Amino acid sequence: MAGEEDKNKVMPPIAAGGPRKLDRRDVLKGLSTVPALGLFGYAWQQQRQYDQATLQATAAPAAAGDVQELNIALIGAGAQGQVLTDAMLRIPGLRFRAVCDVWTEYNLRRVVNILRRFKHEPNAYEDYREMLDKEKELDAVVIATPDFWHAPHTVECLKAGKHVYCEKEMSNTLEGARSMVAAARETGKLLQIGHQRRSNPRYLHCYEKLLNEAKLLGRIVTINGQWNRAVAADLGAPDRYAIPEERLKQYGFKNMHQFRNWRWYKGLGGGPIVDLGSHQIDIYTWFLGTNPSAVMASGGLLYYDPATHEWYDTVMVVYDYQTPQGPVKAYYQTQTTNGSQGYFENFMGDQGTLLISESELNYAGKIYRDPNAPAWDEWIQKGYISAPKLQELQSQEEKSGAIADVRESVSPDEHTVPVVLRDPYHQPHLQNFFDAVRGKAKLNCPPEVGYESAVSVLKVNEAIDAKSILAFKPEDFHI
Amino acid sequence: MEGATFSRSAMIAITVMRVLVGWHFMYEGIAKLTSSSWSAAGYLRQARGPAAGFFRWLAAQPNLLAYADQITMWGLTIVGALLILGLFTRLSALAGIGFLVLFYAANPPFVGYFYSLPSEGSYLIVNKQLVELGALLVIMVTGSGKYAGLDRIVHALITRKPAPAVVSPAR
Repeated sequence: MAGEEDKNKVMPPIAAGGPRKLDRRDVLKGLSTVPALGLFGYAWQQQRQYDQATLQATAAPAAAGDVQELNIALIGAGAQGQVLTDAMLRIPGLRFRAVCDVWTEYNLRRVVNILRRFKHEPNAYEDYREMLDKEKELDAVVIATPDFWHAPHTVECLKAGKHVYCEKEMSNTLEGARSMVAAARETGKLLQIGHQRRSNPRYLHCYEKLLNEAKLLGRIVTINGQWNRAVAADLGAPDRYAIPEERLKQYGFKNMHQFRNWRWYKGLGGGPIVDLGSHQIDIYTWFLGTNPSAVMASGGLLYYDPATHEWYDTVMVVYDYQTPQGPVKAYYQTQTTNGSQGYFENFMGDQGTLLISESELNYAGKIYRDPNAPAWDEWIQKGYISAPKLQELQSQEEKSGAIADVRESVSPDEHTVPVVLRDPYHQPHLQNFFDAVRGKAKLNCPPEVGYESAVSVLKVNEAIDAKSILAFKPEDFHI
Repeated sequence: MEGATFSRSAMIAITVMRVLVGWHFMYEGIAKLTSSSWSAAGYLRQARGPAAGFFRWLAAQPNLLAYADQITMWGLTIVGALLILGLFTRLSALAGIGFLVLFYAANPPFVGYFYSLPSEGSYLIVNKQLVELGALLVIMVTGSGKYAGLDRIVHALITRKPAPAVVSPAR
């Protein structure tokens, strides 16, 4: 039995051997587990090769055949710069030549290291003017800096003869935004503003097919959009990565806290209504096909410390639109103290409701047919929308014992918008920009569109301060 | 445990266990090192249980967090490699236990706690971290590296030459 065997092979007391020689047995047993480390190395190598292969499979082929390679640079290598970089690494035919960030101690190093891993060899710059002086080969520059830097960065890049993709908000001031439109017109270079939903295939499908062609919502009368974000601590940075005060001042920041949390400061960013709301309010205007005629808003700093937060953490807005079909009231709210329900836009017409979001996880596209609307069979057959999810109102009612009031509307049929984006959210918009640079596409968000959006959104902060309804004149949106 | 005796098969089994635990530690460390954006912050912010306050406080200190991240990534990798090799086995097992105590304390599966992070099994007080901790205890007290591991060579080298006998010619 095993027990007996064990008894016969009792080992000498471990470590109680006292003085003895290092013999063959010691060496063999001592090294006996080293091969496990080799095996680990082999397995890890396999894992890395697999990761690399999947990465290359999802990333489109680099400079595949007829794709003209573009030399590009990134200004602003922070969180958003990273998001855009991740998306651009999946787009074929791009060659990163330069990265520029004033946080040389951290952001710049990180993004350069990541790009090197993908076999790009970008030069690193702190000063964007030095970059523009030295990098003559650049075709396009992608800008993801704080809002108050967008105008100077964009204008100088355009004047240096580069095409520009600039993150939204286009600028924190209308003067800044106007200078960008003017520079794009003067130089004839392309300027795409980063309202990336404009290139999202689901939004395009809803706009072109469901709203314009099938007119599934009938007459849109009300809109409700929200971005609910959970409480978040201020961003920090380890002291050893801190930017010297002199450099912070040079680039318009009072201190490291302001540098990290610029979105909350007046003069640097626009607060949550601009950071978050601008994406969704842009969709209202796009889908309705007209700019708002008036805005009223209420907001305030209800929760965060006013010493480190200047903009409003909570904003509720109502826009008026005068569309050719009739007037529309569009509600929007953003709050930053509770993340449940996330973000979505809900368009309600007299024949249907469209609930849509950029998120692939929540509200990724549902459309509801009002029971009084004409049948949607034709559009289901064309594949524009899914077949309806069967309503089991009756049985639910019986189960719960609830008694519906006769005046309650019957629940509408629920259909799904069958368009899924399997790429990073920003990739289609960047792709559209680079296609336009190659002369193969039209920009989905040229500076004029970005400007209209900026006019609509920046007015909200004004309306909060004015505590009254502010009207837009049609000429406010023209340059 | 000095002087305790173990059967050959028991020592082989413990060595196998040591290599497995070491492998797991090492890959946990390397996976974090090779990820461009890994940080303990998310795990710390989700902390529950009696020590949650401490872990959340830690997550909010960028300086300390940066050190904690480095210590975790490198610590796991090094502990894992040492366990596989059986080098400084007791010390590395102790360090591994230290990590596991912290991981366990941050998210203990106590009665009445429900985690939003998905877990792959069903746990009541004992989870896999605690089981791994138990394995490291066995590894530590048996000094398994001295049976099969570099510790055996190190130990033999250190104790190879008998200490010179004290000669006392005066007497």
